[in-house]
Amino acid sequence: MSTTNNSAGNQDEVAKKKLGFGFWLCVTWLALMVFVALFTPLLPLKSPTSNFLDSSQGRPPYAPSWKHWFGTDKDARDVFSRTMHGARISLTVGFSAITAGFLIGGTIGVISGYFRGWIDRVSSFVFVVLLSFPSLVLAILLTSLIERSLLTVSLVLGLLSIAPVGRLARAATMQYADREFVLAARQIGAKDRHIIIKEILPNVAIPMSSLALLGMAVAVVAEGGLAFLGLSVEKGITWGGLIQLGSDASKTLEKAPWISFFPILMLFLTVLSLNFAGDRLRTYFDVKEMTL
Amino acid sequence: MRYYVQRVALAILLLLAVSMLTFGALNVLGDPLFNILGPVAGDVNNPDSIKMIEVAKREFSLDRPLPVRYAIWLSDFVRGDFGVTFSSTGQPPVSGVISERLPRTVTLVAMAQFFAIFVSIPWALITASRAGKVSDRISTLNAFFLVAMPNFALAVILKYVFSIKLGWMPLTYVADDPLRSRLFQMILPALTIGLPVAAVYQRLLRTDIITTLQQDFILLARTKGLSRPRILLLHALRPSLFSFITVVGLNTGALIGGSIVSETVFRIPGIGSTLVESVLRNDFPVVLAIVMIVASSFVVINLLVDFAYTLIDPRVRR
Repeated sequence: MSTTNNSAGNQDEVAKKKLGFGFWLCVTWLALMVFVALFTPLLPLKSPTSNFLDSSQGRPPYAPSWKHWFGTDKDARDVFSRTMHGARISLTVGFSAITAGFLIGGTIGVISGYFRGWIDRVSSFVFVVLLSFPSLVLAILLTSLIERSLLTVSLVLGLLSIAPVGRLARAATMQYADREFVLAARQIGAKDRHIIIKEILPNVAIPMSSLALLGMAVAVVAEGGLAFLGLSVEKGITWGGLIQLGSDASKTLEKAPWISFFPILMLFLTVLSLNFAGDRLRTYFDVKEMTL
Repeated sequence: MRYYVQRVALAILLLLAVSMLTFGALNVLGDPLFNILGPVAGDVNNPDSIKMIEVAKREFSLDRPLPVRYAIWLSDFVRGDFGVTFSSTGQPPVSGVISERLPRTVTLVAMAQFFAIFVSIPWALITASRAGKVSDRISTLNAFFLVAMPNFALAVILKYVFSIKLGWMPLTYVADDPLRSRLFQMILPALTIGLPVAAVYQRLLRTDIITTLQQDFILLARTKGLSRPRILLLHALRPSLFSFITVVGLNTGALIGGSIVSETVFRIPGIGSTLVESVLRNDFPVVLAIVMIVASSFVVINLLVDFAYTLIDPRVRR
């Protein structure tokens, strides 16, 4: 995604100062999803792995009904409950991945932007190497080789976000590294570590954090793609896996579209909210360049 | 001249690094023996199995140290020999697999790029000329929707609506069909990849056209009484295409990534779906070849975009 939307002059200038109704709507949806993800085991949901066979309805899958809001799949498992459980892995992986990416990539980026020299040259080369794979290819390659747990999948997706985050952090740091207040701090004898933490980091952190939501959207989509290909967390319930289950045979998709369409809807609304809220935040903090 | 040499040298260095990483990761983290021999590979107490393991190791030169194997692979690879597939027979050779499947992926990606460009240009022209109006706002919202729809989900929806419910499009790809029907079968897969990218292009191009429309020569064209479509098409479009062309070039990588998912959903035997299959089967030579082809095309396209830039704006060359 790249920058846009500095359209129609004045209207947007005004809009920039407010976050707007849409933003809060998205935040509400995201809060709801986070709540579901955090408290899935405590919520009064049907068991996601039980088979709710109902002889009066014939053979599953059963269409959505009062009893099964999102219907059931071929094994008569409750799609609503499975979709809610799916939120857990999808959001956890998305969040941990982008957190790891920001911690590692951000640190490397700030350090190389501040010190420049050979550190900068090495890290820039590493970033370019990481960016010369299409990210899905790299993710497939790595996840296929390891045991896929919540932690390792998050780490792989975190690794993918290191390069874009690192580049942004580097660029942002370089903007501030020669500013007067940094020079002043150096003049009065502050150490590099002190300057980075006290002077540079607060300035870099604000624009970077407004990009975190957009980054998380990318990570959630990537996790979905991996799960769809059967390469996300093993044995876990994920949105991508549920969508795959409902669409691998065209017969299933034809007869029981609800199996994949409800997870698609949840995934879509979540990614849309992350993107929209992230975009509003970016305009709000007036962050110019964005290449995730 | 020096700039070009430097850039090409960097690109080669980059591809070397990529190949080393991939080769290393595959051999350190994975176990190719199991794939060749099956369960026998783990049966190290049985003397017969040990003999078979020895033979297989020698045959696929797995008994050499890693750097030597890398050197052998590299020297074969640059000469166009991609090695043999890791299976009990070693057949077919990897280059056979690639030459059969690569053209399909290239066609698919080219088609997706074509759709993306020819959807986004009119879309951007229309919305830019009505910037700020209701129709423009609705279109911006639509672009948001498209970008937020992961391509595997879009593939499932397109398949459901156009193949299953409406029956307009064929469900699967048949490799033996004549070219025309194969191209027809690729329309939905290409739209799956192309539509979200079209939304990205549209958002970018719309902004650039709006900037162009505020310039004096557009005002002049308007005072001359030229019609609106004429101004948009003949005067405003061309000067707005600069960053559009760059982004089109750079997005080819995203298209290749999208083709992995799209080929899997629509069962097209291209290199994207082959990558997923081979990765799951630990068929390392195939994986390595595909990763290298994808990374090379990615790096070469970046290089070409950079060079195109220096032709348009020589200041970049320093």
